[in-house]
Formats: sequence, C-alpha cells, structure tokens
Amino acid sequence: MNAIVSVKNVSKVYLLGKTEVPAVRDASIEVGEGEFLSIAGPSGSGKTTLLNLIGCVDTPTSGTVVVNGHDTGRLSERALTDLRLRTIGFIFQSFNLVPVLSVFQNVEFPLLLQGTLAKPERRRRVEALLDAVGLAEHARHRPSELSGGQRQRVAIARALVTHPRLVLADEPTANLDSRTGETIIDLMREMNRRDGTTFIFSTHDPKVMSHANAIVRIVDGRIAAREAAQAVGGR
Amino acid sequence: MGARRDAVRVLLRIALRNLTAAPVRTGILGAIILVGSLIVVVGSSLLDSIDRGMRTSVQGSLGGHAQVYAARSEGTLELYGGLRGESLLEPIEDFAKVKEALSKVPNVKQVVPMGIDQAMVATGTTFDVALERLREDVRRMEAGDASAERLRLYASHQAHVRRMVGLLAEDIQQARAIADLESREIKSRMDEFEALRRAGSEGFWREFDADRYGALEFLENRVAPVAMENSFTFIRYVGTDVEAFFRAFPLAEVAEGRTIPPGRRGVLIGKQFAEEWLKLKNARRLDQIKDLRDRRGKQIAKDEELQRWVRDNRRGIREILLQLDPVSADEVAARLRAALGVEGRDLAPQGAPNTDRGSAASTDLAPQGAPNTDRGSAASTDLEPLLVRLFETTDEDFEAKYRIFYEVVAPRIRLYKINVGDTITVKAPSKSGYFGSVNVKVYGFLQFKGIERSGIAGMMSVMDLMSFRDLYGYLTREKADEIRRLKARMGAREVRREEAEAELFGAPAASPVATRSEPIDERGLVLGAADRAERASDLSSRVYSQEELDGGVALNAAIILDDPGALRPTMKAIEAASARAGLGLKVVDWQQAAGTVGLFLTLMRGVLLFAVVIFLGIALVVINNAMVMATLQRVKEIGTMRAIGAQRRFVVVMLLLEIGTIGIAFGLAGAALGGVVVGAIRALGGIPATTDMLYFVFSGPSLLPRLGTASLVGSLVLVVVVAVLSGLYPAWIAMKVTPVEAMATED
Repeated sequence: MNAIVSVKNVSKVYLLGKTEVPAVRDASIEVGEGEFLSIAGPSGSGKTTLLNLIGCVDTPTSGTVVVNGHDTGRLSERALTDLRLRTIGFIFQSFNLVPVLSVFQNVEFPLLLQGTLAKPERRRRVEALLDAVGLAEHARHRPSELSGGQRQRVAIARALVTHPRLVLADEPTANLDSRTGETIIDLMREMNRRDGTTFIFSTHDPKVMSHANAIVRIVDGRIAAREAAQAVGGR
Repeated sequence: MGARRDAVRVLLRIALRNLTAAPVRTGILGAIILVGSLIVVVGSSLLDSIDRGMRTSVQGSLGGHAQVYAARSEGTLELYGGLRGESLLEPIEDFAKVKEALSKVPNVKQVVPMGIDQAMVATGTTFDVALERLREDVRRMEAGDASAERLRLYASHQAHVRRMVGLLAEDIQQARAIADLESREIKSRMDEFEALRRAGSEGFWREFDADRYGALEFLENRVAPVAMENSFTFIRYVGTDVEAFFRAFPLAEVAEGRTIPPGRRGVLIGKQFAEEWLKLKNARRLDQIKDLRDRRGKQIAKDEELQRWVRDNRRGIREILLQLDPVSADEVAARLRAALGVEGRDLAPQGAPNTDRGSAASTDLAPQGAPNTDRGSAASTDLEPLLVRLFETTDEDFEAKYRIFYEVVAPRIRLYKINVGDTITVKAPSKSGYFGSVNVKVYGFLQFKGIERSGIAGMMSVMDLMSFRDLYGYLTREKADEIRRLKARMGAREVRREEAEAELFGAPAASPVATRSEPIDERGLVLGAADRAERASDLSSRVYSQEELDGGVALNAAIILDDPGALRPTMKAIEAASARAGLGLKVVDWQQAAGTVGLFLTLMRGVLLFAVVIFLGIALVVINNAMVMATLQRVKEIGTMRAIGAQRRFVVVMLLLEIGTIGIAFGLAGAALGGVVVGAIRALGGIPATTDMLYFVFSGPSLLPRLGTASLVGSLVLVVVVAVLSGLYPAWIAMKVTPVEAMATED
C-alpha cells in the first residue's frame, strides 16, 4: 500500500499571548491510498490542527509532513497552494460555499482556478458530479436556497471535481442532523469506493467513525491509537 | 488560455454578484464616485472653457503670447492694471535692439512695443462749449457777418450762456448756504459769487455788444473756472506701434471713426471707457437699463437698480438743459411734445423738480432777477417737464422712450465729452518729474471683439508711440548728458524752494497790485493761435518712419508666436537671446502678464483642484472603510478560496476588480451625467457673465463650457485610480487571510 500522506514526529505549537499551546505533539501516521480514514477525538484534541497540517494549510513547528511525495515544510506558499489545488479536496464543517455563486459555479470554481480544462469538459465533469451527489436539478440554485445536507453535497462535489487524490473533511457532519450526516458519510464512502480517492475526515461522533476503514484516535494532541475499522466493528 | 479567460470571467462574476448582494453599500460608494467624476468632468470643462476664454481675451487684446520687460523693474508687468495702480517698470531704452534680437528667435512672429500708463485728458465743460459757440458768433460778426440767421444764433447762444450763468449762480448760492462763513474758502466763494452776479446782471448783457471780446474774456476768465468740475478725466492708454498693434491683436477693432494712419500721432479712445466716463450720464443710464432688460430680462417694476437709474435720470436732466441754447431747446421741446403725445400745457402737474429751485435762487441773486426770467421761451420752459416725462420710464414705454431720446434729444446735445475728430490734450507726470502734455487727434473709438462690454480691456485706449514717449518723458543717458552740458554752459544753479522767490525776484513785493481787466487783442491771439495750430498740425501731420517708432523707449513688448503651442521652449529661447544680447529682459507668459486678472485663472484652478482633492480624499477614506468592512465580513469566504487553491494574487485581483468595477461603472455614469450637465448649461445659454471680470474671463457675455475628451478620459482615469487606491488596503487585508480561517467555525 502506497502512502499518500506521511506524518513523522510532527508537533505544532501555537502562541497564545506568551504561552505556548501545543496542539499536536509528536504525531506520526501514514495514510495509504484509497483509505477512508477517520481522525477521532474530543473537542480541542488537535483533530483540526492535524487535518490542517495534512491539508497543507498549516505548517508544522517540527517534524515532517509528506503529501503525495512533497515535503510540505520545504514548499513555498505558492507551491503549497498549488499542491492543495491539484492534489487535495476540502470539505468543511460549515460547507463554506461561495454565497454569490450558483451550485454549478461553486463546483466549477476549482477547475477555473486550475485553468486547464476547456469549458465543455468542465461542464461534463460538474454535471456528472452533481448527478452523482443527487443535485442535478439544483445546478442553478444559490447555496442559500439549499438545505444543510444539500450544501454539503455541493461541497463534496466541489472537493471531488478536480479528481484529487486526497479529500480532507473537517467534521463534515457536525452541522447536520444525524440522518443527513449519515447520508453524507455514505456519499463520501461511495466516492471513495468508486474512484479510490483517499478520504481523511475528523469527527467526534462514534456513529460517523464507524464508517471508516481505519480510525486514528487523538487525545491532547497525541495520537493514542490507530485501529483498523474491523476493530470497531463497522459494516 | 480559454480557462484563464473563464477564470477572469468568474472573478468578474463574483465581483458583480458581491456588488449586487450589498446594494446599499454599492449605492453609497457608487454615488461618491459618481459625484466625484461629475465634479471633475464639469469642473474641468468649465476650467478649460475659462482657460480658453481668458486666453482669447488676454492674447487677443493686449497680452500676445508672451511679454518682455526690463528685468531690473521694481514692479511686475500688469497689463490690465494692478491693485495699486500702474506697475513700476523700468524702461526698455532702445526698443529697436529688442526687436532686432527677439525677431530672430525661431517661432517669434512679431514683437510689439508698448507703454501703458494713465494720463489726464481735458474734456472741456458744457460752459466752455457754450462759450465757444458764442465766440464763434462774435468772431463772424466782427468779420462782418450780419445775416439774420447769424443774429438769431447769436441771440440764442447769448441766452444760453446767460442761462448757464444763472444756473451756476444757483449752485454757488447753495454752496454758500452750506459753507462755513468763517472759513478762508469763503473769500474765493465771494469772488466767484460777485463775478456771477455781474455776469447775470441785466447791465452786463446790455453792454455786451459794446465790447464783445471784453465781455467774452470776462466770462472765460472769471466765470468759466467756476464751472470747472468734471472738466478732465483720466484715461488708461497703451502707447504702441499702432499698425503692429492691430496686426498682433485680432480682437482689436475700431468701433467708430478710423484707425490712426500709419506713422501718425493720434489716439483711439476705448469704447467702453467712452461709454462709462465720457457719455452723458442720462444716456448711459438709458443704455444700461436697456442692456439689463434685453440681456437679463430685468424689469423696471421689479428691479431696484433699474428704478434707481430711472430716478437718477429724472434728476439728471439739468445736464441736458444746460447744453441746449434756446433755439435748440425750442426744437427739442416741440419734437418731444409730438413724440410723447403731450397736448399744450398739460404738463404742470408733473411737478418738475427744478421749478422751485429757480425761484429760491432768484430772490437772493441779481436784483433784476435776470438769470431766471430769461431761461428761454415758453417752449423751453416746457422742456424741463417734458424731459422729466421722457425719463420717467416704465417697462411698458421704455423702448419707445429710449428711441425718442436717441432720435430727438441725442442729436442736439454733446453725447460724449470727447468725439471722434476732436483733438484732445493729454497730460501726465513724466518720468523726469515735469508734467508732460501732448495734443493728439482722436481718430476713433477702440473695442475688442467679443469682450466689448468688459471694462478690463475696454477701458484701454491706444495712442501712438511718439506721444507716449513725449508724455513718458524718459531721459535717455545722452539727453541727460546734454542737459548737464547745457546747464554748465548757461551757469544754471539749483535753488531751494523756500528761497526761490527771493532768489529769483529779489525782495518780496510790498502789496498785491490791484488787477485790472484789459481788453485783449483777440485778433493777435487768433493769429498766434493759428500759428500754434499750424505747428501742432505740423506735428500731427508728421509721419514717423518705422525706424523712429522702433528706436526709442518702450516699457514692455508683446511677443506674438507662429506656433502658440511651443510657448515654453520659445520663452526659453527668448530668454537666451536676451541674455546673449545683454538686453536684461524678463520674459513672462500671457497669463502672468495679465497680472491680477491672470491670477483669476490660477485661483479658479486652485479652487477646483482643492475641491477635487478634498472630495477624492474623503472618497478614498470612505471607500477604503467600506471595503475593509466588506473584506472582514468575507474572511471565511476568502479563506475557503485560499484553501481550495486560490493564490493570493487571485484574491487581490478579486477585490480590486470589485472596487474597480464600481469605479468604472459609476465613473462612466458620472462622466455621462457631467456631459449632460455641461450640455444643459450650454442649452440654457451658458453661465452669464454677471461682472466685468467674468465678461473678460469668459471672453464674452456668457461661458459656454465645452466637454473635452481630455477631461472625460481624465476624470475617468482619476476616479478609477482613486477607487483602486482605496481598495489597496482591503486587498492587502484579503491577501493576509490564511486558508486556516476557512476552518474556523463561524459561530
């Protein structure tokens, strides 16, 4: 199994005034391609920080993070942004769609940033994805006209539209009721199976965790355990 | 490639959507930008037009494109007069040298010598004119003319003079009533009174024929001086090479009469000056009322100024009465009665203001009550109420009465104190201290096309250069040397003022010798005068060569260029040429040369610039503030874009595009609105020149602003630049947003 993400002895320390707050301490994990991995832990345990480090939106205080073969600590701001654009898809807890763009335009947005695909190709991709997430009918709607679950589907479509090798989702179901959360996780899982895209998502909800094929438990910034999904008795 | 364009399109879409998503903010920012753009467009259009008007006025009337004058001058050149009188300029001693050196500078088309100064002009009083008529009669009768017509005129002119003496006596009577009896002045007043009493007496006129010249002389020497007020006036003139002047200044034209023949001495009086200062006051006021009615639609019934003029005109008829001898008065009265449709004597109730004054004076004056009883025939007694009625104008009858005045009254009186064809005496203190005086013929009235009504240029008269030099009386070094030599040869010495009398006449005279009036040898005087006139005409018929005109003093010179666009470099070249030839000239552009008037343009520019800077400064702060708020509200959105893979540049462009869009859209709207405003101003007849200054600055009765492409493009660029500048800080904030912000939970 090839490692798409390799975290080695990573620490992240924030400065809160003059006190140093360690958010992640000496964490090491490897995530293989095609995994559907959950990072689990209580609030403030460092889940988000770890996810940010993996997602190249933050850099470690010490240790190395290698994503798709790139050591993020050695990349410039521009290169990191480019890496995010081409390799990683993001799903946010509060969906984070661009309010002034339609569903279609939101999904198309990363493709425009990439600037490699022609219009018909983009259209095909966006429409296929909207179809897959069940929002083909809503392509012209504004995010504000959609329910929370629908918005998160749009976000999933947006995350996948560039065909990234890795998708990161920070508490993707936290703002949704449990039923809807369930369907969102199902959808992510389906995409994971269909395309072999690696998913890493954080959650503190055991029901959501149960969908993962592996769980990394984090407590006080330290990785407590990495368990295979079977251990927690998923489906 | 296509995708990049699509990215730009999406940026634009985001920008537009963001703008429409916050209509209030967009509206406020847009309004600010719109108003800014409007101010700049309208302001710069007005300024351009003012600049053009001013350029036309100054360059076309006196300024040319540039001016030179002696660099060692204390003052600065002010072509249209400064706040403290004429500028103190040192002379250019030899204009020929200047002309020669500067004419060689490329792009210089013409160098026109000038000398601007003020001078006194004797205008002669109404009394003088009446006396002159009587003298003419006497002269002819002495020469043997005894025709009935001559005798009739003689009687009429006698009556005229006699009536004026009466009126003068009234004046003196009033002056005596208010004068301090203890004052020293009273002595001379008494003398005047005595002279008037004698001139008004029955006996004086009875014996007039016995010694006509003697009687005339008494009237001229003793009585005429009493009527001295308003007998001279000041003119502002430019002494110049007249021919060159008209070639150089396209706006200058002769309004009446003809131009001064080449090389001759002469003067062209400023038309506007003539209207203002030389014209009969009543006529002038009628003109002004007509002008305001015609041009600005003012009404006598509603406008206080017009009402005041009408009142002044009713009171001012004396000036007209004084000018009319009984014969003319009869004529005028008869024609006025016909024109005004007055029957017989139904005038009395009109209450002429002068009737009771006459009787009051007569009780005190001349036992025989001579002056008043003889005011003239019954008809001319009627003239006063008729004139009162003529000037008692209302909005309804103004036009008709205006015409009647000019058809009936004007041809029989002296409408202007100086007329075309007169020879006038111009006096001025010369540079060397003495009072210079020249007689010059008035060839015509001068005006400047387009700015006829402006006193700034219109007060200016044009005189020949030779007369100017006589008046200016500059002592060239050679002349001064010659005088020193002469003094030495004659043994002249300086005498102190206090001791002058003793030095010159020995001991002071014991007592004043009683003066005695002696009949003067009129014939001899006439002969002498003829002799003098011959010499004067000799001077005035003399034709000066171009060398004579050029070779002498000038105070400044106007430079006319072939290509006015190359003013700056040519000025540099002129400076260089002046330095090379050691001329010591200062070179100024037309605007500087215009002095205080030129400052107006600078002032307007300053005001507009100030307004624009202040406004745009405020706009900058407000827009910046609003955009900062908007950016802070969108930190999460921006963070998300950054996380998804948008580069910093993308975010910056997004924000600048947003504000730039407002800038362009509303800037265009503002410019368009500005165009509409400018068009509307034009359609409504422009901005009226309400003052003399504005008339000059606008170079006409109103300012018709023109929309310049430059001002349109300029305003748009300016507004967009300001908008983008005000977006820089918000954009910087946006750039600093990290993708981590996207992860933050929003509550």
